[in-house]
Amino acid sequence: MARIGIYVCHCGHNIAGTIDVKGVANYAASLPGVAVARDYKYMCSDPGQDLIKNDIRDHQLDRIIVAACSPSLHEATFRNATAQGGLNAYYFQMVNVREHDAWVHSDKAAATEKAKDLVRAAVYRVKLHKPLERRRVPIRPEVLVVGGGIAGIHASLSLAAAGKQVYLVEREPTIGGHMAQFDKTFPTLDCAACILTPKMTAVRANPNITLWTLSEVVKVEGFVGSYQVTVRHKPRYIIDDLCVGCLECVEACVFKEPRFSDEFNVGLGKRKPVYMPFPQAVPQLVLIDPETCIEFKTGKCKKTCVEACAERNAIDFTQKERLETIEVGSIILSTGFEVFDPHRIPYYGYGVYPNVYTALEVERLVNAAGPTGGEVVLRDGRKPKRVGIVHCVGSRDEHTNRYCSRVCCMYSLKLAHLVKEHTDAEIFNCYIDMRTPGKTFEEFYNRVGEEGVNFVRGKVADVYPDGDGSLVMQVEDTLLGIVRKIPVDMVVLAVGLEAHRDADAVRRMFNITCASEGFFVERHPKLAPVNTFTDGIFLAGCCQGPKDIPDTVAQAGAAAMEAAALIDKGYVELEPMTASVNEEECSGCKTCIPMCPYSAISQKADVKKAFINEVLCKGCGTCVAACPSGSIKQNLFEDEEIFEEIEGVLAYA
Amino acid sequence: MDFGRTMKYQREAEPDWPHQLKQLPGCERLFSCIQCGKCSGTCPLSIYMDYTPRRIINLVREGFRNEALSSKTIWLCASCYACAVHCPQDIHITDVMYMLKREAIQHQMYPKRFPIPVLAREFYDLVRKRGRSSEFWLVLRLAMKSNPLILLGMVRTGFWLIRTGRLSLRSERIRGVHQLRRELATPKEAQ
Repeated sequence: MARIGIYVCHCGHNIAGTIDVKGVANYAASLPGVAVARDYKYMCSDPGQDLIKNDIRDHQLDRIIVAACSPSLHEATFRNATAQGGLNAYYFQMVNVREHDAWVHSDKAAATEKAKDLVRAAVYRVKLHKPLERRRVPIRPEVLVVGGGIAGIHASLSLAAAGKQVYLVEREPTIGGHMAQFDKTFPTLDCAACILTPKMTAVRANPNITLWTLSEVVKVEGFVGSYQVTVRHKPRYIIDDLCVGCLECVEACVFKEPRFSDEFNVGLGKRKPVYMPFPQAVPQLVLIDPETCIEFKTGKCKKTCVEACAERNAIDFTQKERLETIEVGSIILSTGFEVFDPHRIPYYGYGVYPNVYTALEVERLVNAAGPTGGEVVLRDGRKPKRVGIVHCVGSRDEHTNRYCSRVCCMYSLKLAHLVKEHTDAEIFNCYIDMRTPGKTFEEFYNRVGEEGVNFVRGKVADVYPDGDGSLVMQVEDTLLGIVRKIPVDMVVLAVGLEAHRDADAVRRMFNITCASEGFFVERHPKLAPVNTFTDGIFLAGCCQGPKDIPDTVAQAGAAAMEAAALIDKGYVELEPMTASVNEEECSGCKTCIPMCPYSAISQKADVKKAFINEVLCKGCGTCVAACPSGSIKQNLFEDEEIFEEIEGVLAYA
Repeated sequence: MDFGRTMKYQREAEPDWPHQLKQLPGCERLFSCIQCGKCSGTCPLSIYMDYTPRRIINLVREGFRNEALSSKTIWLCASCYACAVHCPQDIHITDVMYMLKREAIQHQMYPKRFPIPVLAREFYDLVRKRGRSSEFWLVLRLAMKSNPLILLGMVRTGFWLIRTGRLSLRSERIRGVHQLRRELATPKEAQ
């Protein structure tokens, strides 16, 4: 006969507010096999855990049940307490009476009855628990960082500084991400390039970092400690080791003038088919765009670039895409964001009226290395005399994105300052709420106000052309309570941040989750902000949600630390809830093999029976349910345990 | 010069009222308003309003029932739905305006002789009595009950409209008008 100890947690008012915890404990005491039944204010506290340990000793308990919160929160806590009391950790069962009961019901009597049912089910099943052991598997010391923006750069450098091997994979021809496109950074007005490019070159120079640009992850297999990652290297048509970045090929290109839209300058500038994205690009290598290069389109180019490269011979038109598989122990995702496409809001006239710009475009206009050499001019070359900045474009709107993109208020203030500095134009910032909740952000807001920028509290409702070629912003000045029509020469749309368009494909590949707005979901919004629900995969930067550069760097550092901690621990413990095949009963029908989402099942060639790799098995139970002969069983979820649990729920008192 | 008090005491507000209003169709999202002013910005008539639509929403939310119901705004609303289409919080502002108009009529709070509520009432009356609206009589009654002087300016136009057969002095009527009246009375009884 089992001797069961039952502990019902109050969780302050969270549980005790809805459930009569004393009543549940008293009821539990009456169930067969229960030796001790108690209620306690906070079971997860040290005294709460001591209660379990002491009772195991004093009352010779051999099974423990805690009715408290979700197992995802404290199952590990109580398993440890059980083990410290001298029992096998898996002689423990958790009952969720908070999320599954107290928080979702208001009828106290009914909720208490439900809690009794759930506790009874646990009493029935816990008697059948078997002792299980966790297995340890070693962890590979390499880390994969996906995305080479400021988040990926900082995470890679931190890990490299700790002596870890890092693979940094970037899809674009250069690292740097969005930050490389910015002119200044708020609120200190540091030059973005001045603070970013040293870090970029440090990545290139660091022997612990393997940098792959123009590369994409295409497949991820394995589990924490041992991921097999397949990376696709796209052809650059330049041999990395031979190119010195002298740009003579660019000079020599048969296109005398640059005439193709320049991605780095968001289409405001022009480039040639052979080009370097921007002067400080890392790696310092040119690349050839096969979409525009005559040699790729017709095969009849004079190839002046090859002549110019001469004996270095770095140009190779025959390069092909290739795949490479690497083994890593953990992964940091820093895939970044995309700026909102204002074509989706037709009444702001982006793409219709030439002088409506996005903030990123103006960022390039202000930049000294930008398409206009730092001159803020309209498309016809005039200097704007009045500039309107429209906040919340694609943010805080049910029709586009509900969330606040968090950085637009501050970068709009920055652009107001920079444009005023460059042109002395009159600036109108039209905002809904001014959000400046960072260190020295409010001071920056005050400063921009003192510089004479006009602030109009109201969302711009319409932008339309005036007769004389300027634009009119129609907006209610909500502080005055009147509608204003403000003529301006230039409209800047403060576009929000969106999840990357292939975030969903990425999250499937890495087996993590996306929230409805498309950003990756962290394991816990407060206490595990860089972890995901998949062990060994961490998040950094805007792929997890919109954030500014300081927060991105902080998060990247945290993600690097988590990965380093995992490596230094040296092993991961795997939960023992794996499935196994009873070979005598297995008919070798192979039903289970394609069912397994983790490719953990194979067929033993000699005996023609299914075999489950315990290291790969995550204990999802799919094969157990699928097996026609019932010959697969899963630890802690054996048929008898589940049937007893059902009996327990259904045995009304 | 006339000085009126503009400040409001909280005792002048009716805090339960917006919560009752919220139960009515179209008003569900009243409390989601972020006061961005886009409704007023897109409204073609807000330039004439005493309170912009945004301010009406806030008057309602804060329970200042008298101010909201006696405003000209709700009667100026042309039901073009531009505000509802553009509202970032998906508030059906036009529907809210309708609910305010209904309540203003119920409690006789609309501005007397203001043509829009008068038109609504006279139109309904005419249709109830005869089953059809006759333009001549409707215009006449509207003018008489709002501003009779306006008729003087309309004499010439009216004369030509009648001569060219565009306006009829005959008042039309349907057969079995009592059946229509009975139908119109049903929803009132249900209330």
